[in-house]
This record gives sequence, structure tokens and C-alpha cells, in this order.
Amino acid sequence: MTVLKTSMRNFFAHKGRMALSAVAVLLSVAFVCGTLVFTDTMNTTFDKLFAATSSDVTVSPKDASDSGETTSDTGRPPVLPASVVGKVRGAEGVKSAEGTMFSSSVTVVDADKDSLSPTSGAPTIVGSWNGNDARTMKITGGAAPKGADQIMVDADTADKHHLKLGDEISVISATGTHSARISGFAAFTVTNPGAAIFYLDTATAQKTLVGRTGVFTSINVTAAAGVTDPALKKNVLGALGTGYKVQTAKEVSDANQKELSGFLDVMKYAMLGFAGVAFLVGIFLIINTFSMLVAQRTREIGLMRAIGSSRRQVNRSVLVEALLLGVVGSVLGVAAGVGIAVGLMKVMGSVGMKLSTDDLTVAWTTPVAGIALGVIVTVLAAYLPARRAGKVSPMAALRDAGAPADARAGRVRAVLGILLTGAGAVSLYATSQAGGATEGSAWLGLGVVLTLIGFVVVGPLLASGVVRVLGTVLLRPLGSVGRMAERNALRNPRRTGATGAALMIGLALVACLSVVGSSMVASATDQLDKTVGTDFIIQSDSGQLITPEAVKAVKSVPGMERVTEYRVTEADYTTPDGKTLKDTDITAADPTYAEDVRTKTVAGDIADAYKPDSMSVNEKFAEDHGVRLGSKIKVDFKDGSAARLTVRAITSDDVVIDKGAMYTSTATLAKYVPADRMPLDVVLFGSSEEGQQDAAYKALKAELHDYPQYTVRDQTDYKQELKDQIGQLLNLIYGLLALAIIVAVLGVVNTLALSVVERTREIGLMRAIGLSRRQLRRMIRLESVVIALFGALLGLGLGMGWGASAQKLLALEGLKVLDIPWPTIIGVFVGSAFVGLFAALVPAFRAGRMNVLTAIATE
Amino acid sequence: MKAYGSGETRVVALDHVDVDIARGQFTAIMGPSGSGKSTLMHCLAGLDTVTEGQIHLDETEITGLKDKKLTQLRRDRIGFIFQAFNLLPTLNALENITLPMDIAGRKPDKEWLDRVVATVGLAERLKHRPTQLSGGQQQRVAVARALAARPEIIFGDEPTGNLDSRAGAEVLGFLRTSVDELGQTIVMVTHDPVAASYADRVLYLADGRIVDEMRHPTAEQVLDRMKDFDARGRTS
Repeated sequence: MTVLKTSMRNFFAHKGRMALSAVAVLLSVAFVCGTLVFTDTMNTTFDKLFAATSSDVTVSPKDASDSGETTSDTGRPPVLPASVVGKVRGAEGVKSAEGTMFSSSVTVVDADKDSLSPTSGAPTIVGSWNGNDARTMKITGGAAPKGADQIMVDADTADKHHLKLGDEISVISATGTHSARISGFAAFTVTNPGAAIFYLDTATAQKTLVGRTGVFTSINVTAAAGVTDPALKKNVLGALGTGYKVQTAKEVSDANQKELSGFLDVMKYAMLGFAGVAFLVGIFLIINTFSMLVAQRTREIGLMRAIGSSRRQVNRSVLVEALLLGVVGSVLGVAAGVGIAVGLMKVMGSVGMKLSTDDLTVAWTTPVAGIALGVIVTVLAAYLPARRAGKVSPMAALRDAGAPADARAGRVRAVLGILLTGAGAVSLYATSQAGGATEGSAWLGLGVVLTLIGFVVVGPLLASGVVRVLGTVLLRPLGSVGRMAERNALRNPRRTGATGAALMIGLALVACLSVVGSSMVASATDQLDKTVGTDFIIQSDSGQLITPEAVKAVKSVPGMERVTEYRVTEADYTTPDGKTLKDTDITAADPTYAEDVRTKTVAGDIADAYKPDSMSVNEKFAEDHGVRLGSKIKVDFKDGSAARLTVRAITSDDVVIDKGAMYTSTATLAKYVPADRMPLDVVLFGSSEEGQQDAAYKALKAELHDYPQYTVRDQTDYKQELKDQIGQLLNLIYGLLALAIIVAVLGVVNTLALSVVERTREIGLMRAIGLSRRQLRRMIRLESVVIALFGALLGLGLGMGWGASAQKLLALEGLKVLDIPWPTIIGVFVGSAFVGLFAALVPAFRAGRMNVLTAIATE
Repeated sequence: MKAYGSGETRVVALDHVDVDIARGQFTAIMGPSGSGKSTLMHCLAGLDTVTEGQIHLDETEITGLKDKKLTQLRRDRIGFIFQAFNLLPTLNALENITLPMDIAGRKPDKEWLDRVVATVGLAERLKHRPTQLSGGQQQRVAVARALAARPEIIFGDEPTGNLDSRAGAEVLGFLRTSVDELGQTIVMVTHDPVAASYADRVLYLADGRIVDEMRHPTAEQVLDRMKDFDARGRTS
């Protein structure tokens, strides 16, 4: 009982000193809970959406995907004949059955030819307006579409683009461009996270999307009263046989959910990973706080021991304080986490993903996980300082304690740290020598962990050296104030080491990723320069195929020397070893592709692969299946007939662009696949005549103005785009790492604040003998800057080592060029100095405000 | 005059004290606990402010000076020796001695510094950290620091309070020597009659007033006078 009472009193007596540790726990827990709430909310939103939009039973063509995805390489969705609807209606337990037609292989543009598609990556869907849609949507203005010239728009999209009744919009599909006027608006009764949806009447939808009537993409079946979905499914299957895909509402919903969960899980675990980094950094802060509190209370603890407290009681009293800290921080963290989730939802809203707070989902596991994690981490982190407190001898009560400036970094620590760092360095070296990717990543992971722990362990020893160097370079010129700052940073290397290490972790990750990112850009640029021989690349950033109309438009541009079409389809391969590989990609391109991209081969000439009835295979495929030049492979095209193609080139796997692709010519493909089943182009390569480049570029842009889904890029644009994309990704990651860095900065503030308290008397003395407030504040700021720079130096060094090793590993995957982004690295280093200045603001201000006399009188 | 609080709770620590400290002399301020002797010294040294009245250092009026000016004054014209914790643990003896000049950005006068160091007998230990020095040695470093900057006046707040009699005598001897040989002005607060006997003049303070003064005292005289005060205090 008394243990608890003393702990409580100590905790509340030092609430100021505990505050920063509590904030660290709070932030980490909040991030974890925020992530969980946010991803759960997204799941709920999609669950509701899928549940609402699926009919009791759905019938679709055999080759449609489980989730009802409606794209295919021909740009037209797979369909079933209208006669099936009648058969379904005849099945027992069917109340109604209705054929629908929809596709997401479309682009919709307004009268100015600006795209109405979402920018968030959500799909654009054009479909027929059916009973099932009328069930989940409400017409909020105008009327449902009727006739070839009417179209209805979902209310969110209409709002976003300020569309009015009667406005003309056009649907661009594989069959061409179709214009219609807006007849009405319909709103979802559940939250629609962002898809843009357009409705036509059934006949218009059929003509627009596949070019003929009498076919549907699926049939929505409603059960009669008392018939369950599985029973209905059975009956429908009985009526239709096995030629079609028949799914219950739940199966469709689950398939959709499964498709999304991959993406959601990646996001969730990535964010939890960053929360983990923040926790790791928070541990340093908590260890430091408790170590300093224990050190400051040495005399008090000695007294407790002298009057009979057992070692265990002292130990426990510190742990109970940690427990209190953990509970307070975590509970606040859970609350803040919900706030973060709502904030994230708002952010998503601004980039076009609509989420409603009505769907906000806080599972009971979220607060439990958050609080458990926060409390356990805090108590574990306080364990070492608590043990140290237990070891305080009763004699300490009698000694003039002051602040023990012991901190002789042990020899054990040095040996252990150096061994760990050494082993880590060896692992990193092994990474660069590794033969395979799996082996290499194992070495890399081991190396990263070992060097990180090694640096943390050896940190206090490095602190002495590094701070001295930094001091000599930066502080000495600033006179005695600088020298005192240096000495203060050095007086407790363990503390400086731990504070710097916290900052080191975040910055190491920043440095590592910036090295990898900039190496990616450099490698890709290098590869582009070496292999790409074309002027323009035309493709859709949202994954839309290139419609024949658009291809024609591109080919009509004057001044073009050649335009290469490039498409990908699937086929079943039967190799000479007798094996059949189902649904394997085959790339069909015009022979000019050999000039556009100089694909490296290990045997044969790539240009020969485009000869009639010829193909190329990749190196690994050739090895696995005993394929040599001249071997014949039976290629059974998915939408056509079987061909026997002769292998005339084997491509190297040591490439970046199109790695593993197997080529044949467009003409060969056309021979075996009927014209209406020909897959659409994925990308076009255009090369202009000598000297016509600028004109051609302008003309291409102008020609594709009506097709906003496609982008023309010359090589400069392409490289810039690559750089921008990687830059954006890095910025996102830096943003998430900012959390860890904020916690680390709190750690610096905490260390300084507690140091100032510890040195009250010293500060009083210095002020008495003539140190001005400004000098005092400057001294504290400089100490802070030195600690921050120490952390930055270690972190950047470590991170660059990791990054370089990762590059060596990824060299196998085409990351051939190591590029160290010096401006970023130097920027981070200089930025750290400012972080140090910032962290010292409050502690310096408080030190300056101290009353000289009371400071001197402090015990 | 120096008062704490106001109205009912107003406590007057110094009550109309009028005192002149003579240049080149060693003055001791004595008095029982709570007599206001430390407060007087703190006010004289510009560490504390007075409620009413004026304090001059040479021609400069220090009452009413802003913190910045006061700090400069302490740095350039005043030296301090405290009872304990006089030295910065991170600096060695020499660095502690030259600290006020370092802070001011002045170069120490090498010759003078050597002389001060020699006087306090620390030449051998200049590279030692405070924790490696005995209590007496630490106080000698503090004296050296106070002397090294050549301040107009040195204030000592029980400078020998934490020392045994031998170490105390040593330190007091150095203070005496610095007055006699270096012409230093020193004001020291103490309640030790032996310490006071090193002074040229002793001021007796009681209840915030100067009640007596003695020139060229001996330890016995001081002790007698103290006993006298104590007795009077008890009977009144």
C-alpha cells in the first residue's frame, strides 16, 4: 500500500517531468489506434457498399472474375446471352431475374473533354439502370435515363464536377465515343467511397459497352419469400448447369472484400510499422526519463532503503510509477487515435475518397490493443532504471549526492557494441555479395537489426568521440559558452547516447530510403537512356487500354516516323517438355518495338521474334522448360485458336523494362485471334521524323486532348514522372517517419529539461559569477544542437550504409546505380541542428528565468 | 531596506541599514541566524534587489539596474565565494578560475593569473576536475577564481562554512593575504568568530539592523561580543 502511495505521490509531484514521456506514449498509442480505427472504418464502408449492391444471387459468365470485375484485355467485358435470363426465371424460388450490363473499361468526359473519372484510383463504372440499382440508390433530381441520348450521373460525381441536368457528357469505350445528355442524378443510400457511376438504359448500355444488344454482363436474381441465398444458388445452378458462374450475395461481397483487403492490409501494416518505430523511439525517451528521475532521487531512495524499504519495494515503486504513466498515456492515446482516424478520413476526403463518420468503427480490440501495448512498453522500458533504483545503497542517503556524473561507459558495453556492429557490418557486406534475393534480404535484415542495436549499445561511447569532434568544429569557436555546452553534452554520455539514438533511428530510415529512392531514379534513368530508342510513350495512368479510335488519332499525327502498338494477352503454353502453363502472359508488339526498346538477349536477335509465327521467351522460362532457339511452343490464345510458334530469341533477365516478357508480333496474334477479340493496346510508342520532334509532341498532345485518360510523354517527361512518383512515395514515408522524429525531439526536450533541473545550482553559480541570460540560453541551445547533430550523424551514417547495402541487393532486380542524394542528406543534417535549437526553446527559456539566489540555494 | 511580502505578511529583512565598505579592507558581517546578514550581502552584490534605498559600487548605483547590467557588473566588477558548490564539475581547476573572464570574452592577464595561482598554491592541480580536489582545495580554487578577474570587490558567503578548521584557516589566510598584498576589497558573511577575526572590521547585524561595529578584532573579542548579543537576545 505504501509503495503505491509513494509511487502516486512521486508521479504527481513530477507530473511536469512525466508529461513528455506521457506524450510519447500517447503519440505512439494514438497512431496504432488511429490506424486500426481507420482501416476498420474503411472495411465497414466497403462491407456495407458490397452488401448493399449485391443481389441475392448473381449469375455471370464463366470467365468473369469472382468479384464481378468487368475489365478484360479487349476492353469489353465478358458477356452472356440474354436467353440465360429466361432460364434463370424458370428456376424454382426465383422471384425475379434481371440482366444488367456494366463495365469499368470506360472513360467519361464532360463537354470540354475533361475527365470525370475519380483521381483517387477508384473506378469509373458505366452500366444499365436496373431494379437492383434502384434498390440501393435514390434519384435525387431528374429522371432515370431513357433512350440513346440520356445518361444519369451519381450525385457525388455531379457535385464534384458541378454537372447540371441537360449537360452533355461522353462515354469513351472500346466501341467508340458516345455522347448523351444528363437526365437525372442518383445518390447511394450507403457511403460510396469514390467510384464515379453513370447509368444508361439497358439497350444503350449494351450498344455503348460491347457494341451489340442481346447480351448481359450479369444477371441479378432475387429470391422469393422464404428462399435462402444458398438454396436459390442451388436452384439456379440446377437450371443453368455449370456453364456459368453463380454466386450468392455473400460470395460476391467476400470476393470483393478479399480483393480490397490486400491493399488495406498493406496500408495497415505499413502504418503499424511506423507506429512501431515511434514506439521504439519512445522507449529511449522513457528509459532516459526514469534514469534521470532515479538519479535525481538517489538520496531519497537511499533514505527509504536506510529506514527499511527492501530492494524490491524500491524497484516496484518505480515500476508502479511507470505503470501509471503507461495507463495515462495510453488511455489518452486511444482517444487521440480516434481523432487521428477522423483526421485521416478528412484527408482521404480531400483526395477524393469519401468516408462517412457514420461508419466509424472502433472494435473492442482497438482500445485493448492500444492500452496493452502502451502500458507494456512503458513498464518494460522503465525496468532497467527501476533495477538501478533498487541497487541504490542506503549509504546514498548520507552522501552529498548531487547529480552523479558517473557514466563510465563500461568495457562490456564497448565490447558488446563493437561485436554487434561488426557482425552487422559483416551481414551488410554479405548482402552485397549474396547470390539470390531471399538470401540477400535475410542478410540485409540481419545487418540492419544488428547494426542498429550495435549503434545503440555503443552510442554512449561514440557520443564522447563524436561530441568532441562536433565541439571542436562547431562549438570551440563560440568561446567558453560553447565549451561548456560541449562539456555538458559529454558529462553523461549514456544520456546523450540514448537521446541521440532516439533521433538516430528515424533519421537512419530517412537516409536509407532516400538512398534507395534516388538510386531507383538514377537506375531507371540510366536504363531508359541505354535501352529506350523512342521519342514518345503514350499510355493511361489509370490503367485504361487504348481504344482503336485513340490509336487512329495518334497514327494520324503528321511528322511521325513510326508508331508501335503494344498489347498483352493471355494464352496457354505447351512447351517441348510436355508441360502446359495456363493463362500465361504473351506480349504482342509491332516489329518496330525492337527499335523502341533495345531488349537484351542471351541468344538470338529480338527482331526475329517478330517474324511470322515466331516468339521470344525469357531466360528463366527457357531454362525451366528446356527451350532453345528453334524450339516450338504451342500457344493456345485465350480468345482465339492455337498456334505453334518458333522461339527465335531468348531475352536476358538482367533488364528492368518489361522483365520476363515474352514477345510475338501483332500480325502473328491477329492470325490466330478474331478481329473483334483482339486485345487493345496497353501502350503506344511513337517516334517522330528527324527534327520534327517538337512539332510532333505538340500535335500528339492536341490530338489526344479528347482522350484525357491518356498521357503523352517524351523521355524527359517520363523521367520526371518517375522521379515525381518516387518523390511522392518518399514524402509519404517521410511524413509517417515524422512521428518517430517528433517523439525523438520530445526526447531531446525531455533530456534538456531534466538536465536543467539537475543543474539548477550550477546555473545559479554561473549566473552569479556573471553569465548573462542570453549566454545561458545559448549554452543550452548549443548543447541541444550537439545532441541533435550527434543523433543525425549516427543516423545518416547508418542509414546510408543500409541504403547502399539495399542497393547492392536490389542490383539483381535492376537497381544498378548507387546514387547518394547529398542535398537531402546534408539538408537533414542541417535540419537536425534546427531541430536541436527548437527542442531547446522551452528548457532554455526556463533556465533563463531561474532566480539566481534560489538556484544557488537549491540542494 | 529589504522587505519580503506585503501587508500583514510583510517581513522586513533589512531595516534601514546604512553601511560603507572601505576599499582595500577586509570586512566581516556577523550576526545570528535570521539577522539579515546574507540578505545584506546578496543585496550589496547585486544578486538581490532592495525594496527601498540605494546601493552604490564605487560611482555606480546598482539599485534599479536591469538584469543585463547587473550580470555585467557581477561579471566584471564583483567576485564571489560561496559556502559550497563553487565550481562547475565539468571544468578543471584552471578553467574554473578563468571562467568569469571567459564568459566576458576577455583574455586573462597571464602574469596576474600566475601570481594568484601561486598565492593560493594550486599550480600543481590546475588540470584537476573539482571531484578530484579536497574541500579545502576546492574553496581555494574558488578564491583564485574570485581574485583572478581583479574585481573591485569580493563577496564571500560563509566561505569556510564547510571546511575543517585547518582548511578554513588556509582559505582565510589567502583572503587576508590578498587584501594585504594585492589590495583586494573583501566582504565576508560568517558566524564563525575565528573567521571574523581575520577581518579589519566586523559589522554586527541583528533583526535587520547594524547594531555594532568592531575594528581589528581578535577571535576572543568577537566571541565575547557574540555572547553578549545572545544574552541580550534571551533577556529581552
